[in-house]
Amino acid sequence: MSFAARQQEALAVWRVFDQPELRRILVGSATCGRAAGSLEVLQAFRDELAQADLEKSTALYEVGCLGMCYAEVLVEIRAQDGRRVLYQGVEPRHVAQLVEQHLVRGEIYWPLALAQMGEGTEELPAFHDLPMIKPQERIVLRNCGFIDPNNIDHYLARGGYSGTARALTMGPDAVIDEMKASGLRGRGGAGFPTGVKWGFARATPAAQKYVICNADEGDPGAFMDRSVLEGDPHAVLEGLLLAGYAIGASIGYVYCRAEYPLAIERLQTAIEQMHNLGFLGDNILGSGFNFSIKVKKGAGAFVCGEETSLMQSIEGKRGMPQSKPPFPAVSGLFGKPTNINNVETLASVSAIMEKGASWYAGFGTEKSRGTKTFALAGKINRTGLVEVPMGINLRTIIEEVGGGVSGGKAFKAVQTGGPSGGCIPARLIDLNVDYESLAEVGSIMGSGGMIVIDEESCMVDMARYFLTFTENESCGKCVPCRMGTQHLLRILTTITAGRGTLADLDSLRKIGDTMKNASLCGLGQTAANPVLTTLQYFEDEYRAHIEDHACPAGACAALIHFTIDPAKCTGCGLCARACPVEAISGEKKEPHLIDQGACICCGSCRQACKFDAVLVS
Amino acid sequence: MGSFSLIIDGQTVEVEEGATVLQAARRAGISIPTICDHKDLNPYGACRMCVVEIEGVRGYPTSCTTPAAAGMRVTTQSERLSTLRNRTLELMFSGHPNSCLVCVHREACEQHRPTATKAARSTRCGFCANREECDLRAMALSAGQPELSLPTMYAAYNLERDDPFMDRDYNLCVLCGRCWRICEKIHGKPAISIINRGKWARIGTAFNKSHVFSGCTFCGACIDICPTGTLTDRFARWQGKPEAETGSACILCPQGCAVVAQSKNQRLLAYTMPAFNRDASLCALGRFGAAQMVNSNQRTTRPQVREGEDLIPYDWDAALKAAATGLKEHAGKIAFVISATSSREERYLYAQLATALKGQMHLVPAHALPGDPTLTTIQEAIHGQGALALLMNGPLLGGVEQSRMAFSLVIDALHSDSSEQASVVLPAAMLSENSGTFRSSTGEIRQLSACSQAPGDARAEWRILRDLGQTLGLDGFSYTKVEDITRAMDNAVGEDAAPPAMTGDPRHNVRELITTYRGHQVADIVPALAAFGLPQRSMIQEESTAGSDNGFPILEKKEIVPNMHFFKIQAPQVAKFALPGQFVILMARETSERSPFTLVDWDADTGTISLVIEEVGRSSRELASLRAGDMLAHVSGPLGQAMPVEKRGTVLLGGGCYGVGAIYPLARALKQAGNRVICGIEASSSYLLYMQDELTQVSDQLILATKDGSEGVRGGVQEILVQTAEREQVDQFIAIGCTFMMRMTTELSRGLNIPTLVALNPIMVDGTGMCGACRVSIGGDTLFACIDGPLFDGHAVDWDELASRRSAYAPQEIQALSQGVDLSALMHQAHGPTDTHQCGCGR
Repeated sequence: MSFAARQQEALAVWRVFDQPELRRILVGSATCGRAAGSLEVLQAFRDELAQADLEKSTALYEVGCLGMCYAEVLVEIRAQDGRRVLYQGVEPRHVAQLVEQHLVRGEIYWPLALAQMGEGTEELPAFHDLPMIKPQERIVLRNCGFIDPNNIDHYLARGGYSGTARALTMGPDAVIDEMKASGLRGRGGAGFPTGVKWGFARATPAAQKYVICNADEGDPGAFMDRSVLEGDPHAVLEGLLLAGYAIGASIGYVYCRAEYPLAIERLQTAIEQMHNLGFLGDNILGSGFNFSIKVKKGAGAFVCGEETSLMQSIEGKRGMPQSKPPFPAVSGLFGKPTNINNVETLASVSAIMEKGASWYAGFGTEKSRGTKTFALAGKINRTGLVEVPMGINLRTIIEEVGGGVSGGKAFKAVQTGGPSGGCIPARLIDLNVDYESLAEVGSIMGSGGMIVIDEESCMVDMARYFLTFTENESCGKCVPCRMGTQHLLRILTTITAGRGTLADLDSLRKIGDTMKNASLCGLGQTAANPVLTTLQYFEDEYRAHIEDHACPAGACAALIHFTIDPAKCTGCGLCARACPVEAISGEKKEPHLIDQGACICCGSCRQACKFDAVLVS
Repeated sequence: MGSFSLIIDGQTVEVEEGATVLQAARRAGISIPTICDHKDLNPYGACRMCVVEIEGVRGYPTSCTTPAAAGMRVTTQSERLSTLRNRTLELMFSGHPNSCLVCVHREACEQHRPTATKAARSTRCGFCANREECDLRAMALSAGQPELSLPTMYAAYNLERDDPFMDRDYNLCVLCGRCWRICEKIHGKPAISIINRGKWARIGTAFNKSHVFSGCTFCGACIDICPTGTLTDRFARWQGKPEAETGSACILCPQGCAVVAQSKNQRLLAYTMPAFNRDASLCALGRFGAAQMVNSNQRTTRPQVREGEDLIPYDWDAALKAAATGLKEHAGKIAFVISATSSREERYLYAQLATALKGQMHLVPAHALPGDPTLTTIQEAIHGQGALALLMNGPLLGGVEQSRMAFSLVIDALHSDSSEQASVVLPAAMLSENSGTFRSSTGEIRQLSACSQAPGDARAEWRILRDLGQTLGLDGFSYTKVEDITRAMDNAVGEDAAPPAMTGDPRHNVRELITTYRGHQVADIVPALAAFGLPQRSMIQEESTAGSDNGFPILEKKEIVPNMHFFKIQAPQVAKFALPGQFVILMARETSERSPFTLVDWDADTGTISLVIEEVGRSSRELASLRAGDMLAHVSGPLGQAMPVEKRGTVLLGGGCYGVGAIYPLARALKQAGNRVICGIEASSSYLLYMQDELTQVSDQLILATKDGSEGVRGGVQEILVQTAEREQVDQFIAIGCTFMMRMTTELSRGLNIPTLVALNPIMVDGTGMCGACRVSIGGDTLFACIDGPLFDGHAVDWDELASRRSAYAPQEIQALSQGVDLSALMHQAHGPTDTHQCGCGR
C-alpha cells in the first residue's frame, strides 16, 4: 500500500474518533495522571457507562498528558452536541454526576469545568486561551493529550510519517541540510546543532552505524521526555528513524530508564505498529532503506544519561563515561559510528521534516530556534509541563504560564537545568530563555527542569540538596567528581548546620573550580554549578549561616525555631494535626504552643497554618 | 603507519600515528604525573592528574586520552595546571589513608621499627604492605612534599581475606581501575569491576560473590598492576620489594609457562607473569603456589639412608655410595619412574642411568592420579620386568609397589610417604632453584634460570644424577655445568619427546588446576588450594572437628575496625580470678601456637572474658578467622602480675593498636581507686580508632590522636603525653601498644619526670616462666615478662635488647603466614562447598 493510501485509511479512523456526533470521553492517563488517580476515574467511567447503558454509544480513551499537572485528573467530555469540555481535578466521586449531567443531558458541570476545546464562550474560555496555555507553542507536545498514543492511525492522521515519506525521496544529505537549516539544537542540554552532529556521523564511513534515542531522563523533577513518550511515542520513533536514515544507520536504540514502565510499554506497542505498517524493517516505503529499533531499559543511574556512559550500558558494561575523543560519531556503540539524540530533539525532528525547516526556524531566536519544553515545578501555582518558544522571558513563564509564586510569597530565584544547572536570581527575571542567555548568567538550559524558589527556600540548603543527589550519582570513576562532590556536600552540610567558617566558602570555590575543569564528564564538570551560582548570587545567605548562625529563609532546621503568634492563632488545631512529633498543644479556639524541646523544626505547622500565625526565627 | 610532529613545551616531538599526548611527552623526556595510566592498558582518564593545555582545545584535556595530532601545541607545565593537579591530588588523598606521607613520627618509626611489621595487614600505623613500592606515594612525592589540607573522608571498609591467595584492603584503593581493566584485557569478561556509586563506588565482584566463585582465575595480574597496597599477595606482601627478577619457566605442569621469578635474599617471593597479556598469564598454582611450595616446611633437606627401621641423615658422599650400591646390586632389575615435569637435562641423565644399569624407563604424565591407566600400564610393565629396585623422583607410584622392592631410591624435593619408605632419600632442589631447559607439551624449549637457594643440603637434581653416575663409575657423567648436558643433548641424535599435554587449561579455569606435582597432592603443600576443591589429605577435616565438643566457646566475635577483632569467650575460671593488667594465652586448636593477649574485660558472674586481638601473624589470623559459636581449644590464665591499683593522683593511659582495648580495665580500676584518669588513644587514621564510648565511661577525659590528623590531635600518644603534661600535673603514665610507641613515650616521660609503666610484649611461649623466651632486661636485672610482667618501669627497660629479641624470628613468622592450614580456605571448604556460603564470609 502506498503511503498516501495508508494516510487515507488513517484519516478515516481519525474521522470516526473526531466526529462530533460521537459521545467521547478522554482521560489524561499518562504517569502523572495515573499518580493523581486517573485509572480509578477511568474505571469509574467504565462502570458508570455500563450502568447507564451508554458503553456502546460512548468512546472512552486514555490519552497522554496536556501538561497541566496542577489540574490532574483532566477529563475531556464531548456529548452529542459536539462541544468538548475539559474538566479538572476529577475524582471517581464526580463521575456519576459528569455522566448524568454532561454526557446524557448535555449540560456543563460547572464546578470542575476548566476550558472548552476549540473556540471558547463567555463563561468558559477556550483551552488555547488559558493563561497557562496561551504563551505556549506546542511542537514537541503537538499530539500529547489529543490522540490515543496506542493508535498509530491517530498519529498518521495528524501528519505523522509524512515527513518520513518526504525524507526518503530527498536523500540523506538533503535531510541533514534541512536539519541544519531548521537551526535545531540538541535538547538534552548541551545544545549542539543537530544537523551538524548528523553530518559528522554520516561522514564516518562504516558498514554498521547506530542511532540512539536518549530517554534516560534523570534530573530530579524533570519529566518532559516521559510525557512525550507516553503521550506520543511515534513522534520520537519517527525522529529516530529519520536520524538513522540521515546518517546511514540500520539499527536504532531507545535507551529508556526502567522507572518509566508505561513509556516502555507505549514504545514497544508503537514499534510493533511501525513494523506492521512497514515503517520499520526492510525496504521502508519502497526506498531500499532498512531500519529496526530496539528498546533498552536503563537501570536508573543518572550518569547513564551521559552519552558515552549510556553506550557502555547498552553494551552490557557498567555505565561509566569514556574520554572524548573519540567522539561517538567516529567510534560509539560497539566501536561503530553512532549518533545520540534526546527524546525532545527527535520529537522536534519529526515535526521539522513534516512541516519544513523554515516553518520551524520561524520560532525562537536567531541562535536558538524552535521551542523548548520545561517541567515547571517548585513554589509555583501552576506546576506542569510547558512548551514555549525559545527567547521567551522568564517572567512570562513564571507569572503567566505558571501563574506566579504560590501562597503569595515573594519570588526569589529560579533554578534551571537540575543538578547540573544553576540559580537565576529574581532580579534577572526578564532574562530571555535561550542557550546563550542562560549560560551568560552561569546556568544552563539543561534538559528542561525549572524549579521556582520563593523567599522561604534557603539557597544553601537547595545547593546541598542537589549535591546530595550528585554525590550519590557520581559514578566514582574520576577523582575530582567522586571526591569533590563528597567534600562539597560535607561543607554545605556543615554550613546549614551553623558550623561553617568563612574559609569554607573559599574551599567551595576551589573544589568547584577543580571539578569544573578537571572532571571527566558532564556530570562532574557541572555538579558544582548549583553551589557556584548560589555563591555568586546569594553569598549573603551563605554568610548569614556562617557569621550570624541564621538561616534567613527559615529553612535550615539547625538554625531556626518556630513559635506561634498568640495574637494571630485562632486555635483551629491544624498545626497540631500537621506536627509529626506532637510538639504542639493547646485548647480548641485558644492560642497553641510549640514545645521547643520536642520540635524538630520541620516547618509542617507553618505550612499548615492558614493565618500566618507560625513564626520562624 | 606514518609519523608526524607536534610541539610540547616548545619542544618538537616526532611520534607515530596513534600515540597519545602523554606518550609523546614521555618520548620527549617530559614527565607528567599520572596514576591510572599504565603502558599495558588502554587510556582511561580517571585520575585526572595528567591534564595539559592544548592550543585550540577547550579546557584541560587529559594527556593520556588525547591522541596526539600533527602540529598540536601542548603545554604541560603552567601555574594553572599545577594548581589543578595539586587540588586533584589533595582530593585523591582525602580518600586514601595518607599517614605514610604526613605522619610526624615517620622517620623515627622507620629507624626504630625492628622489621617491617610482620602483620598480615596493611594499615597498622599507616604503613601499608606496599610502602616500599607504592606508585601513588611516588607520584605524590614527585613534586615534593604535597600539601594536604582537606579533611579526610575514609570509607572504613572491612578487609577482605576470604579468598585463598589475596588480601584486599579497599580503604587504600583510589579507583584507578588498573585491576579490573587488566582483568578485562586478559580474560575478556572481567571478574571484577567498579560496583556501587558515588562515595560507595569500589572494586568488587558481581553480586558481591567471593572471588572463588566470581570467575576469577587467580592469575594475579590485578595484584601486580595495583599501584597501591590495596591488592596484595598474601604470601609475598610482608617480604618487601623483590631484589631480583629472573626470567624462567614454571614446570609445575607440562605447559611450562614463562615466568618472571621475583626473589629476595635468595628466596623465591613469587612467580609473576612476564607480560600483561592473555598468552602470558599464569594459573593460580603457578602464580601463588610455586613460592609456597619452594618455601614449604615439607621440604627434604638432608640425604637419608635406611638403617633398619630408621632413616638416618647421611652426608652426600655416604648417601650417594649407599644409593650406588643398591642400584648396582639390582642392575637389570631396576624400574625408573620419572615425572614428566622434570627438566630435559634431568630426563636425559635418568635415561642414561637407565641405559647403563639396564633399567626400564617410565615417564609419568603430570596429571596422572592414582588409578590412571598410564600408571596401571607402568605397574604391569614393572611386574613383567620382575623389577627388584625402584628409582623415583617423587611419590609417583603407590606404597604397595615400593614395599615390594628390595631397594628403592627417592630423589625428591618434598617429603612424602614414598620417601618415608625409601631405602635412600636424596634431597633435590625444585622449581626456581634449578637451571636448565624444559620442553613444554607444545614442544617449545624454555630456559630455566635459578634465582633462589635450595634449603639445607638439597642439590640440583642434575648434580645428584651426575654424582650418582660418577659414584657408580659410569662413563659420560663428567659434566661440570648444566649447560654441558644441554649441549650434549643438542648434539645427540633425535629430539627428546615433549611431555604429554594436559586436557584442561588451568590458566583460564581454576577448576582445571593440576592436583599433583610429581605425585604430591599440591593442596597438601598449598592448603589454600582446597578452596577450589583440590583433594587434600584428611588432616584438615580432622583438625577442624577436633575439640568442637570441649573447649572454650566464643560467644561474640566482630571485627571492630579493620584488623582488630573483639572476642567474648566463655572462660569461667579465668573470669573468676582476673585482675587488671593480666593476660591469657589462647590456642585456637590443639596444634596451634600459644599466643598471649591482654584481658580487656571480664565478668565473674557470667564467666566471660573479653579480648581485643590484633591480626599480626599466622596465629592471630587463625584466631581472627573463628566465629561466634566456634570453640577455642585452650584459654590459659589469668597470667602475669596484676597492676598495683592505688591512688596516684592523675594517671594518663596511652593506648595504640591492640593497647586501645588493653588500657580499658586499667582505666576502670584506677578510676575506681579515685584517680583522675585520662585516656589517650592513637591510630593512623580516624576510622581505625575504636572503643571510644567504653573508654569515655571509665575515664575523666578521652583524648584522640591520629597520625594523619583525620581526628583529634595530629600525631600519637607522644603528642597527647606532651600536651597533657603542659596542661596539668601527670602523676603516672602507662603505655600499651607497639614497641615503638612505648619506647618513644617512655623517652618523653623520662624528660618530664613522670613515672611510667609499659606493658612489654616480647615473644612468649608457655607463659609460666619455664622457657625463658620472654626474657627482658629491666634495670640490669633479667626478668620474665610472663611472670614478672607484663607491666614494667618503662625507664628501666633495655629497649634495644627487646627490639632485637622481638625480631629474632621475623623471617619465620613471615614464612609461617602461608604455611599449615589456611583458615580462610578452610572456612569455605568446611561450610560452603558450593556458592551458597554459610561460612560467615558474608557472601
